[in-house]
Amino acid sequence: MATSITSRLIGLLTLVSALIIGVSMLIDYRLSRDEILERLRIQSQDTIQAAIIDMESWLGSVEGSTRFLARILEQRQYSRSGLEQMLKDIVANSEDIFGAAIALNPEQVDSPLGFAPYYFRKDGILNYADLAGESHNYQQQAWYLDALRASKPVWVEPYFDRGGGEVLMTTFAVPVYRSASEGRRELYAVVTADVALADLQAYLQRLHLGDSGFGILLSREGIILSSPDSDNLMRHYSELESNALDIATWREMFRSVLAGREVSRQLQCPQLPGECAIRLGTLQSTGWPVGVIYSESEILAPLREFQIKTVVVGLTTLLLMALAVFLVTSRITRPLSSLALASDKIARGVMDVPLPSARGNDEVARLVRSFHAMNKDLKTYIAELEAATASRSRLEGELAAARQIQMSLLPGSGEASDEAQDYSLWATVRPAKSVGGDLYSYHRSGDTLYLAVGDVSDKGVPAALFMARASGLLQQLMIVEADPASAMQKLNDALEAGNENCMFLTLFFGVIDMRSGLLRFASAGHNAPALLRGGTASRLQQSDGPALGLAAGLQFPSNQVQLVEGDRIAIYTDGIDEAFDAQARMFGDDRLLDCLAQTGALAVAVAGPEILQAVERHAGEQQQSDDITLMLLQLTPRESATQTAQTVTRENFTLGESLVTRAQEWLEQTLHRLRVTPDLQLELSLVTEEILTNIEKYSGLPSGAQVSLSLVSTADALALETRDKGIAFNPLTDSHRSPLGADIESAEIGGLGVHLITQFTDQQTYRRFEGSNILRVTKVLHSDQA
Amino acid sequence: MELKTTVDIDEENSVARVALAGALNTDTAPDFETRLQEVVGQGHELTVLDMKELDYISSAGLRVIFKAAKQTKQGGKRLAAANRKPHIDKVFEILKALPDMAVFANDQELDDYLDTMQSRVRDA
Repeated sequence: MATSITSRLIGLLTLVSALIIGVSMLIDYRLSRDEILERLRIQSQDTIQAAIIDMESWLGSVEGSTRFLARILEQRQYSRSGLEQMLKDIVANSEDIFGAAIALNPEQVDSPLGFAPYYFRKDGILNYADLAGESHNYQQQAWYLDALRASKPVWVEPYFDRGGGEVLMTTFAVPVYRSASEGRRELYAVVTADVALADLQAYLQRLHLGDSGFGILLSREGIILSSPDSDNLMRHYSELESNALDIATWREMFRSVLAGREVSRQLQCPQLPGECAIRLGTLQSTGWPVGVIYSESEILAPLREFQIKTVVVGLTTLLLMALAVFLVTSRITRPLSSLALASDKIARGVMDVPLPSARGNDEVARLVRSFHAMNKDLKTYIAELEAATASRSRLEGELAAARQIQMSLLPGSGEASDEAQDYSLWATVRPAKSVGGDLYSYHRSGDTLYLAVGDVSDKGVPAALFMARASGLLQQLMIVEADPASAMQKLNDALEAGNENCMFLTLFFGVIDMRSGLLRFASAGHNAPALLRGGTASRLQQSDGPALGLAAGLQFPSNQVQLVEGDRIAIYTDGIDEAFDAQARMFGDDRLLDCLAQTGALAVAVAGPEILQAVERHAGEQQQSDDITLMLLQLTPRESATQTAQTVTRENFTLGESLVTRAQEWLEQTLHRLRVTPDLQLELSLVTEEILTNIEKYSGLPSGAQVSLSLVSTADALALETRDKGIAFNPLTDSHRSPLGADIESAEIGGLGVHLITQFTDQQTYRRFEGSNILRVTKVLHSDQA
Repeated sequence: MELKTTVDIDEENSVARVALAGALNTDTAPDFETRLQEVVGQGHELTVLDMKELDYISSAGLRVIFKAAKQTKQGGKRLAAANRKPHIDKVFEILKALPDMAVFANDQELDDYLDTMQSRVRDA
């Protein structure tokens, strides 16, 4: 799954989009965050500003009224009741003021207690108090004394107004000076206006940021004028119980603030867990430090909300996108996966697989359509191929049968070996294809030996059929006709009849009188035989006639040559001299003569194969182009007749149980007949067993298949040839040899047989011919062995 | 071609004598193998293959003997051949088969060896 196109596409696309979305969201977040922070800052600033401005204007108006009153008193003189009345009016008309008093300088008044009327508002009702009483006389009060001391308008530190308003308050006191006689300035009175702390509190409450943020107001001396916790009122900030900030920091802040600077600090939130911030400034008018304490996290709550929203939106987008990509991609690639699956199945041989349908005209659809077409074609081809193969194997089977039949038409079934007292003969046909057009024949009748070798035009089935006809006619003629020329004539006429295809046959027909050694022969377009005499090979002279089968009523010249004992003639077809190699060079008659001379010492049954092997070696990789036929005839010297015994004994065996035993029994009998020594018998027996065991093991043939064993015995050698139709296997090179003399540990069990074969024989040859493995091993005999 | 196998066990000296008579080829080798494996499996100190009556041996038979030789060697025991006929000898020779397998040319040699074995056991 991890390697499918769909998952790769999805994975990659999702990853890339995740990256893009992530980056853009990050940038957006960053920008928005800054904006939000800025907005929050401005917001908080505005809130603070608004509250402060209100407070300022209120306190300002208080100051203003008081100053105004003071100015009036500076200039005008009023009676006591007049003063009282003015005071009453002021307090009544001024909502801002809690209470106001005019405290005359006692020196201006004849009473030692002085004169200080005080009007104040309580519960909406205007009240009067006389501050010039015996107790809490105004002359000892802080506000009076501070004003005197300051000699200018001053805000007094908060106090509880006992005997007056009976509330916590702070007072704005303005001393009034008049010029007395002699130009001196003398104090006339102190005019005051009060602000109740409770009222201040109301204003301050508007100064909050966030749910738990609150404002504080302090006097210039550090007394808390207003705070949400009423326990803290009137206490010095150093008495604060909360451990939010240490005293030193407070003091430092206080100092800075009084100096006119704004300060802000981080601190532990007094009521909540977490970080808070404090911002302190001063009221312009009164110089009171005012500030706000707020929880940053609360303030920044909108930002955090924004963050969370961003993340959620981002993730959702991503998920939706992945889903979309997945759906779209699967849809597009589904046909591809089905195709991939289908092609796997088809590759394994399951032809009828359902293929996806092709919609549209995109590449995938085109692919699916092509696939459909290919699949259909493939099915057709396979069916046709199967039919063709079936008919071909049928044909091959028939051809194989035909070959066997054809070979059986010839003496020796395709390889003839005959020995008599006065001659030894060997002949073979090797068709180029399954069936061929070459033939040979021989027949001994009394003292006459008839020989024939022929070559039908072309090769293959037509030639084979004609060859069959010719062979039959020839064998009949051999029995009745002693004269080669007339035999040829009769044969020609017979073949010409009904020969519409104009096939023809070249033929050599010879008759030898074994008593005199005279060879009479006729040739119908056939190449002259070769003669090996005294170590020299040469071609016989001949006058020949035309090929047989084309025209009737032809005459053929007669030839004759005197043979002597020891002569060896080779009659052959042009498949030998016209065998081409890879460079299109022919084997040629001269090379054949050379081979003939070189193998002259060997018995014909040994020389023949040798010569043919030379032809094969010449052709090399080239396929055999024409049928090859070779017949060797040797006139044996009469004296050595008893000594030279060349026999070929052949037997077929079926693979299976006790093959070795059966084969060895046959071998024993044959060798015994040939008067071979027991030692040699044992050795050959062993060799036979090893060869047969190899065939059983490596040929791949089933039990019941045939294997043929031939024993060729000559004066100086014994050759054992095995033929099997198994898979190509050369035991001399292909089998597993184990190292000789190895100790027990490394000795491989097996692979010893070939050693025995090579050690107990002198010569081993292998060839593969027409589907058969042919192994020939030869043991050279010493004089004492046979 | 037949093969006749006779087994003779000397418990006291832990010697097994396997006598072969006839021909040891691909046809007779399987049965012989079973027999020999049995004997070797019994774990005698010395297993002697008496080939006095063995007329024929091929690579199939050698294979069986090889296998037995490997097994006895692995078990720390010995496998020996005795009384080989000349052409049997020749086959072993040609293959230089089993150089470290003990070979006794005749019964006398085998008896001498057995005597030495016995005395070794006695003295140990």
